[in-house]
Amino acid sequence: MAAVIETRDLTKHYGETVAVNNVSLEVPAGALYGLLGPNGSGKSTTIRMLSGQTRPTAGTASVLGIDVATDPVGVRRRIGIIPEQETPPSFLTAAEYLRFVGSVRALEGTDEAADWWFEFLDFGDKRDVLCKDLSRGTRQKLMFAQAFLHRPELALIDEPLVNFDPIVQHQVKEFLVDYVRQGNTIFLSTHILEVAEEICTGYAILHRGRLLHTGTPDELRETGRHLPEVFLALVGRDPAHA
Amino acid sequence: MPDLFVAMFREEWRVHSELFGSVGFALFPVLVGAMACMGTVLVPIVNAALPAGDLATIVHLLFLLVGVMVGGFGLVGNEVMNRRFGQASFVAYAARTLPLSERRIFAAFVAKDTVYYLLLWILPVIAGVALASPFAGLAPATVLRLALTLLLAFLSGLAGLFLITTVWGRSKLAFAVLAGTLVAGSGAIVLATGALPPFPPLELYRSFSWPLLAATLAAIGAALAVSLLLFHPVSSGSERRHPDRFSGLARRLGRLPYPALAAKDLLDLWRSGGGVAQVLFALLLPLGLCWFLISLLARVLPTNGVLLLFSVLAGVLGSTVYTWLTAFDTFGPYGCLPVGVGTLIRSKLTSFGLLQVVPAAVVAVAALATGSGAVALPAVALALGLSAWAVAVTVYLAGLSPNVLVYDPKVLAVYLGGVGLPVIALVALAFASPWLGFAALLLLVPAALLVSAGVRRWEAADGAFF
Repeated sequence: MAAVIETRDLTKHYGETVAVNNVSLEVPAGALYGLLGPNGSGKSTTIRMLSGQTRPTAGTASVLGIDVATDPVGVRRRIGIIPEQETPPSFLTAAEYLRFVGSVRALEGTDEAADWWFEFLDFGDKRDVLCKDLSRGTRQKLMFAQAFLHRPELALIDEPLVNFDPIVQHQVKEFLVDYVRQGNTIFLSTHILEVAEEICTGYAILHRGRLLHTGTPDELRETGRHLPEVFLALVGRDPAHA
Repeated sequence: MPDLFVAMFREEWRVHSELFGSVGFALFPVLVGAMACMGTVLVPIVNAALPAGDLATIVHLLFLLVGVMVGGFGLVGNEVMNRRFGQASFVAYAARTLPLSERRIFAAFVAKDTVYYLLLWILPVIAGVALASPFAGLAPATVLRLALTLLLAFLSGLAGLFLITTVWGRSKLAFAVLAGTLVAGSGAIVLATGALPPFPPLELYRSFSWPLLAATLAAIGAALAVSLLLFHPVSSGSERRHPDRFSGLARRLGRLPYPALAAKDLLDLWRSGGGVAQVLFALLLPLGLCWFLISLLARVLPTNGVLLLFSVLAGVLGSTVYTWLTAFDTFGPYGCLPVGVGTLIRSKLTSFGLLQVVPAAVVAVAALATGSGAVALPAVALALGLSAWAVAVTVYLAGLSPNVLVYDPKVLAVYLGGVGLPVIALVALAFASPWLGFAALLLLVPAALLVSAGVRRWEAADGAFF
């Protein structure tokens, strides 16, 4: 299957710090691909580079066939993004923010799509509340909705389940699996190895900016090992601290 | 609290020195001092042209104005522990996890900002004046007294506006009572004595006395203390609801470029609570002071000179609306959307253009109120043309970060030259004939070209990356 994400020696320096170091990776279309690694391993920086939010220092990255360094806006037009820490703009309400996203993306039927998300993630009662006054979990729901409002063929998600309660976590996992079944691709970073093992069709492990390992849960099952075990062996730390 | 103050101070230094280099940032006050030094050399010439004592009044009121322009700490009260500190000071934001009251953290923040403005602007100006004093015929004792009273003038403006904006943040009714009392009191003094209300720092300059110095310091201290006591952040549990205003506004702006982005800007400005107050305190109040300062020069200015000079200043001050619009926004969320730096700059300029109705209206009202209605149109053209040029220079030099890059001495020097020369040329033209004020509209063409060049420059530097 064709690769929707392809990186060659992708590198990012922040001053003297090498955040991502010569990462070469291919993510096939239709995958639910997990990027795993301890804190500071370069997961968020990789997602920021792939989504055209920060410029690579060296190497190349192509997303849906578009070079992220030369056309980051073109990449962002085609994909959905949920950054790790960004929150929606403070002084729009939740409903206004989704209409704003729909206007900027020139979407038809924004209101219907927004209604679906308000109902699906059960935060319709917050639609008229200013984003700055929303709880962290509700802001995350809103960021989730904006990323999928235009039904992108590829979504890049940094820590999709953080801030969600167990019920919403379950709903979101089901949504992601179903979304991929419809022919789309999800590329996500997560700390929760059990989740990656449960829903991902492929994974890569980063450590100190370097790509240590790629694989699939099927391959793991064949060896009788579990992802936390593999992760611990590669990274050399207690996976609970990852 | 001293530790927190020191940590914030270091953080502020590092933020700027990492951007421009330690030497570059350290050169900023040197540049300010050098400009003050050059200005002071001209004092004998200006003094000869003005009635006795007017120059001292103008200089003190200018320092009061600078204090007023930076003293709006009360406007950030609502946001102080959320958006504002998250952007402005990580140390202040993170200090919430320490056993310190929010009031103490805020006090440290205000103290740090005040000391920074003193070091970056006020003390360098005073040092520049002192250096040039032998050439300006100023005695050492006069320079010392001037240094003290200018410092007090700045602190009076800062503390006064801090108090007023804090009262505004607590209660609009209390603000109306306070503002009404101040205006009525000042008016009564003017009517009764035919003179302006006494301004203690200026009185101290004219006739120094220890009791007056003590009273001035006590008044400034009291204003700062009351402001800090009245300070309160909005509780995090409150949920403010609004019906959808975005869709209608974006539809109404539909003929403009980037209507969605412009509608968001206007709602941000309006709902932040600082929006109306920002217009009032950062534009209308300084413009009022400018009018008063310029009116002191009425005797040496040509017919309509006060209005025309005011229009020029209104244009330059009006251009700072762009700085508010960029300072109010957080650019991170745009990283999820298909917009680049160029689009954002142009959308901010759309919002800027809409808000230019404020300085234009102020100039028009000033013209009508002073019986100069006949030249209202060229006066408004003067303000709008200069504002467009000044904002174009700002965009070219600083992109989306004018409030940060202004502290780069190279940027500031080029900005002052780029805006200063057209200002001088247009003042000369307008004084020759008010109708030549329309010449300012010719600046719209180079302004548009400069904006395009600025957009290309910042897209090449940052592209779509935030």
